[in-house]
Amino acid sequence: MWRNVWAVIRREYIQRVRTKSFVFGTIAVPLIMIMMIAIPVVIAERSEDGERRIVVVDRTGVLLERLESELVELGWTVEPEVWAADVEDRLRQRAEEGEILGFLMLDDETLGQGVATFQTTSRPTPVRGLTLRGAITRAAMEYRLEGSGGAESMLSGGELIVEMLSDTPGVNPDDDGPQFAVAYAGAMILYMVILIYSVAVMRATLEEKTSRIVEVIVASMKPWHLLLGKIIGVGAVSLTQISIWILAGTLAVAAGIPTLMSARPDLTGLVDLQAALPGFGMLTLFAGFFVAGFFMYSGIYAAVGAMCNTDEEANQAQLPVVMLLVGPIIMVMPVIQDPSATWATVASLFPLFSPILMWARIAGGGVPAWQIALSFVLMAFAIVAIAWVAGRIYRVGILMTGTLPSLPELWRWVRAA
Amino acid sequence: MTENGYAVRLEGVTKRFGKHTAVSEFDLEVPRGIIYGLLGPNGSGKTTTIRMIMGILLPDEGSVTLFGQDPDVTRRTKVGYLPEERGVYRKMKCLEFVTFLAEIRGVPRAEGRRRALEWLERLGLPEWGDRRVEDLSKGMQQKIQFIGTVIHEPELLILDEPFSGLDPINQDVLEEIVRDFRAKGTTILFSTHLMDQAERLCERVCLISKSRKVIDADMKELKEAERGGIVAVEFEGPDGWIAGPEVERVEAVNGGFHLMLTAGADHQAILRRGVSAGAMILRFDLVEPRLHDIFVRYAGADASGDAGTPTAGAGRTNVGDA
Repeated sequence: MWRNVWAVIRREYIQRVRTKSFVFGTIAVPLIMIMMIAIPVVIAERSEDGERRIVVVDRTGVLLERLESELVELGWTVEPEVWAADVEDRLRQRAEEGEILGFLMLDDETLGQGVATFQTTSRPTPVRGLTLRGAITRAAMEYRLEGSGGAESMLSGGELIVEMLSDTPGVNPDDDGPQFAVAYAGAMILYMVILIYSVAVMRATLEEKTSRIVEVIVASMKPWHLLLGKIIGVGAVSLTQISIWILAGTLAVAAGIPTLMSARPDLTGLVDLQAALPGFGMLTLFAGFFVAGFFMYSGIYAAVGAMCNTDEEANQAQLPVVMLLVGPIIMVMPVIQDPSATWATVASLFPLFSPILMWARIAGGGVPAWQIALSFVLMAFAIVAIAWVAGRIYRVGILMTGTLPSLPELWRWVRAA
Repeated sequence: MTENGYAVRLEGVTKRFGKHTAVSEFDLEVPRGIIYGLLGPNGSGKTTTIRMIMGILLPDEGSVTLFGQDPDVTRRTKVGYLPEERGVYRKMKCLEFVTFLAEIRGVPRAEGRRRALEWLERLGLPEWGDRRVEDLSKGMQQKIQFIGTVIHEPELLILDEPFSGLDPINQDVLEEIVRDFRAKGTTILFSTHLMDQAERLCERVCLISKSRKVIDADMKELKEAERGGIVAVEFEGPDGWIAGPEVERVEAVNGGFHLMLTAGADHQAILRRGVSAGAMILRFDLVEPRLHDIFVRYAGADASGDAGTPTAGAGRTNVGDA
């Protein structure tokens, strides 16, 4: 048995990896992703270029003079303010009224460890945040070096605490830039890749059926083995593509961040950015969710392909299945904002939603390990159940011509096979 | 002959599609090592029968055995099947496509590749191995498909209309290959409506008409039995005498006539009638019947609703219900 399953896997893999669309997709998708991330950053960067007023409360009395020029360079108008007990409340009010963009508090801790607090209604873009933090750290370091104190404590790069003012609409006070991006982009990629490759299984099934080559193949092997080989083959192609993307991404980060750091030593926060990127554990989970999702959906799609006779029929018949994938995508944003809500937990444990929603919750942070384990167990059951039903529909469907079967008819196929 | 002597055996096989009965109570026994023709007009149930042998359709009644065993077991590696509707992987290279078909039937890849190259050479396509199947003409695709059918050296070849779509030269090439396989001991079951091919190739034929078996006989015996069924005449003078109760149909053939007699008719009676009618008879010959004529006689009679009459001694002979 395994010899012919292997032959199908091999054929499927080699034929697909050779196509122009595979090569194109492998190269183009990362480029598109980079553009999708870069364009909003650039736009956000631009939009902040207008008149922006920030207030700086310098309790040290020595840092502002060293900082001011860089803050101006960042496009901010700087308004110094003397410290008083109620200064924070007053400034917060002014910020909430939209009079100022935010305020920066510099104190002895800033001087000692480079830690400063920036309260704002509008989160600075990563680059701007890093520049600001670099400027503050350098100013503090300069002062320390000019005086007697050593600057060792500053070598770690200091820290800029950004506090979002509460009533800012549309921004989650807890959200953390890079992590949010990982959760959201990861969910989108999972959706895309599962859909694209499951549809590929459907198309291949349909093509074999309409070209009648399937009659020759199933004369020589069990339909179930053909289906299995096809799914594994297409799955291997998709894993190859994803691996290339991840490898390219890792290389880009590994080579890019040090380069950027040496070019712009002031962007000390790049180290943190690097730390926030998904690590090996997350990548493994990502691959796990993909594989589980692909096995579930490709089985369903293969059954859809087997029961149709034309592309048009297949496009219609797959609509309900697409909805199963679009559903969780609609829920991704709310889930990221409140990953521990009961509804989010329940939805993310539903096997057909798990790949996207459980991923989003995990990447968003704070999902107990048992829930992750449970979602994989449930998905494993779902895969077996889908394989059982879809395999039977497939077996009857690929050799059947005529009108699209009705649901009761499908059920007969499942029971008859 | 023992049970195992049959490469294919169908017993009482019936297949219905809705109200239409495509194949009705069909028995078929294909002995090993012969070329067996499944003949019949379009829509008579040939392809349905073959699809049931291949397990693509399941019979509503009756059973199918291959080599005396459950066909699911033997079919996978022992049978080569060329379906009527040709299917290929259009994007694959010819050589890879054929090698793949060998591989799923248990031929190791290297061996499959070697055989594929040999076959491409033999069928005059050596330079096409690295081209995609879709780049080939239809006739060439059909050759590739045929290679795919025989690449694993099956013990039984089932070919559904293998000659249709091929030019005469390639029909001859294919015929020769079929004979080669027969010489090696392969059993060949093929369907066709081309009587010339069937006549040249088949050792035994089965004629299906309207879902039922009409004739199932050894080719030689069939011809013997049908001999005397056709009289070729040439004459001068009156021609009214050639029609009569013994004559089913008259066909004009280069200068003379072929008289198709009803079964068991006495041709001497016709001759006597001709002489007494004053015709000058130049030729009065019992001709070897062509399969074509037998085919038309049975399938045509059956199709027009006349009851065909069984011919004595022609092996197993069934007649469709009138």
